[in-house]
Amino acid sequence: MHCKRINLKRRSLLTGACFAAFVFAGAAGSACASDYTPVTDARLANPEPGNWLMTRGNYKGWSYSALDQINTGNVKNLVPVWSFSTGVDSGHESPPIVNNGVMFVTTPYTQVIALDAASGNLLWRYKRKLPEGFSALHNTNRGVALYDDKVYVAGLDAVLVALDAKTGKVVWETPVEDWKTGYYMTMAPLIVKGKVLIGVAGGEFGVRGFVEAFDAKTGKSAWKTYTIPAPGEPGSETWQKADTWKTGGGGTWMTGNYDPDTNTVFWGVGNASPWFGDQRPGDNLYTSSTLALDGDTGKIKGYFQYHQNESWDWDEMNAPMLVDFQDGGSATKGLFKPARNGYLYWLKRNPDGSISYLRSEGYVPQNVFKSIDKVTGRPEIDMAHKPATGKAAQFCPGLWGGKDWPYEAYNPKTGLVYIPSNENHCNTLEGKVEERVPGQWWTGVAIPDLHFSVDTKAAFYGELQAYDVNTGQRVWRDLYSGSMMWGSPLTTAGGLVFAGGTNDREFRAYDARTGEQLWQFKTNSGIIAPPSTFEVNGVQYVAVQSGYGVDAAFQEGLMSELVGWQKDVPQGGVVWVFAVSK
Amino acid sequence: MRRLDFPNGPLFGRRAVLGLTLTPLLFGAARADEEAAKMPPQPDDRFVFLTGPKKGQVTQIDDLPLGGPQVQAYPVSQDGTVRNETPLNLVILTRFDPAGLSEETRARSAAGVVAYSGVCTHQGCAVNMWSKDRDAFVCSCHGSVYDPRNGAEVLAGPAPRPLPSLALKPADGAVAVASAFSGRVGGTQK
Ligand code: FES
Repeated sequence: MHCKRINLKRRSLLTGACFAAFVFAGAAGSACASDYTPVTDARLANPEPGNWLMTRGNYKGWSYSALDQINTGNVKNLVPVWSFSTGVDSGHESPPIVNNGVMFVTTPYTQVIALDAASGNLLWRYKRKLPEGFSALHNTNRGVALYDDKVYVAGLDAVLVALDAKTGKVVWETPVEDWKTGYYMTMAPLIVKGKVLIGVAGGEFGVRGFVEAFDAKTGKSAWKTYTIPAPGEPGSETWQKADTWKTGGGGTWMTGNYDPDTNTVFWGVGNASPWFGDQRPGDNLYTSSTLALDGDTGKIKGYFQYHQNESWDWDEMNAPMLVDFQDGGSATKGLFKPARNGYLYWLKRNPDGSISYLRSEGYVPQNVFKSIDKVTGRPEIDMAHKPATGKAAQFCPGLWGGKDWPYEAYNPKTGLVYIPSNENHCNTLEGKVEERVPGQWWTGVAIPDLHFSVDTKAAFYGELQAYDVNTGQRVWRDLYSGSMMWGSPLTTAGGLVFAGGTNDREFRAYDARTGEQLWQFKTNSGIIAPPSTFEVNGVQYVAVQSGYGVDAAFQEGLMSELVGWQKDVPQGGVVWVFAVSK
Repeated sequence: MRRLDFPNGPLFGRRAVLGLTLTPLLFGAARADEEAAKMPPQPDDRFVFLTGPKKGQVTQIDDLPLGGPQVQAYPVSQDGTVRNETPLNLVILTRFDPAGLSEETRARSAAGVVAYSGVCTHQGCAVNMWSKDRDAFVCSCHGSVYDPRNGAEVLAGPAPRPLPSLALKPADGAVAVASAFSGRVGGTQK
């Protein structure tokens, strides 16, 4: 329990003063960064239940933990053990990542904070110095990636940074792109066999998206795959107007998932730019698609495009979960995705890494698709609900979709997926042709003209839904009458689902099978970060950052005008860690 | 950064000049240019359009639509150096009937033209949008609304303070800078 090398002065005051010890049976551990456990490919492929080594807990993207010490029987006794104020405002969207007692969280503006996961003591802190005059639409960060003895964070200014996990010192920095042209980075990197994979944001600024892999040791680029083909490459025929591909968007702003069996990376691709499809005729591959990439070379093995000639700002940036489900009576190696376009998708992972369409169904009301082709999955669009240049059209759900970036979760014990979603909202957009200024908003519509609307008489807006992954039946849902839902659920072998996401600052635990709410706790701010769970010295903890901001706060401001919700959800980030009181 | 023959002549790029003659002397001159292009707006600077059909040309008072919307511009020195090496120098110009301006704003205006920093005080995005409903500037990132007729006071949104303003004076059909920005330019990071 005694740390000799790290932050000796500060720690010596606190050594032994483990708050957890007062409340809990079992010695609360005090992790030392000095005996940090290196992260290996084998550990990433099979993470120990006691650790939370990557954003969604495993390569499959389940946000599931096999820990069950906290369960439906005792969750009512969950109490905070420690908390830590990040001192940063705006939207905190990163889960606590934990490796043998050391916790790493990130904050907006690219800070990384390393904490003793049991005591909450600070080990080190990295603050990125952003360039003078820097700006970004979303200042958030969605977490670190761990590999060997390093911690990787994507800098908001499009610089990838490797830190020493023990000290927080910079080991290397690699500029990925020029932020002045509209690129920025917010996702957690993904580690694949010694490489650090990143994606970029900037789909509102007319960038050309890509996924790039860097050598984890040196920071040297290993491969780079654009999400928009250049002339002559396969798919380039779907960009029918000259040069539109150069500024066609296709951001890659959320972390991918990975199938080690076929060495395939599944990465989501965002909206096309500008937003109005008539300005860039064609299907516009691979915008609003899932890409299947070779983990070693980045070569495109396959793809599935959810909707063509994107015109609704429905990014499909979240990678689908890797789930084996029943399809047509047989077990299928599948992909499952609640898409921003309001539909659930069941897709098939083929042995060669390519993706086939199986089936789909709506999980929120949507008025854009007339039908979906049973073989190809291609939707037939109702043109009355497709906005274009000089043509206003209303579409529902609105541009934040049935679900925005928050992750869904899958519990193999219940066979249910838990989907944070929103209904009863629409947008009416009309496009304009705009001159592009690199680094400035370039969607074809100005912020004052987004015309977000809601059904003001609706009984609810946000919800948490549970679907049977095999049958597609909705099993339960919790409806939020006074809030949108911006929280990523965590589900556990203890039969629980944890989620925040509402504007009332609550952190909730549900019975994973029935949806009955078993526990709640009011935090400092609204929770839009994914929770995680871990174990230190035999004690299971649940951790989450509370810190409202970014799109949730912007939308809340609109809702205050439309239906009178509170305008100012308090901001400021705090890490909360809970355990069961004995 | 760009240099232009003041006031209405053809444009040529600094890098193009370098490409022609790579002499140490010119490198020195180029460095001086770069320094000048990073400097904040200086007295007597005029402005050049960032966008539109007159992109790169000096903004004349008559070019500005009466009552908005704003145009985006960068300051240009008397010897033709466009001060666009930092996004912090982005300026928004708007023309109004002077009678509709607050007293303080009118005192800083010239021929009804008002100039503010185009960099949002929230997180530094370009304040390049206009709301017809509110008759006001809107930031392109999170929708902060600023009152152009009254010192760019914040009307709505997350911006913590008004946009800094530049005092102007008339200059042969154009406007020129009369004094430095009224406050610190740029976003606020907590
Ligand atoms: S940067 Fe302008 S409102 Fe946020």
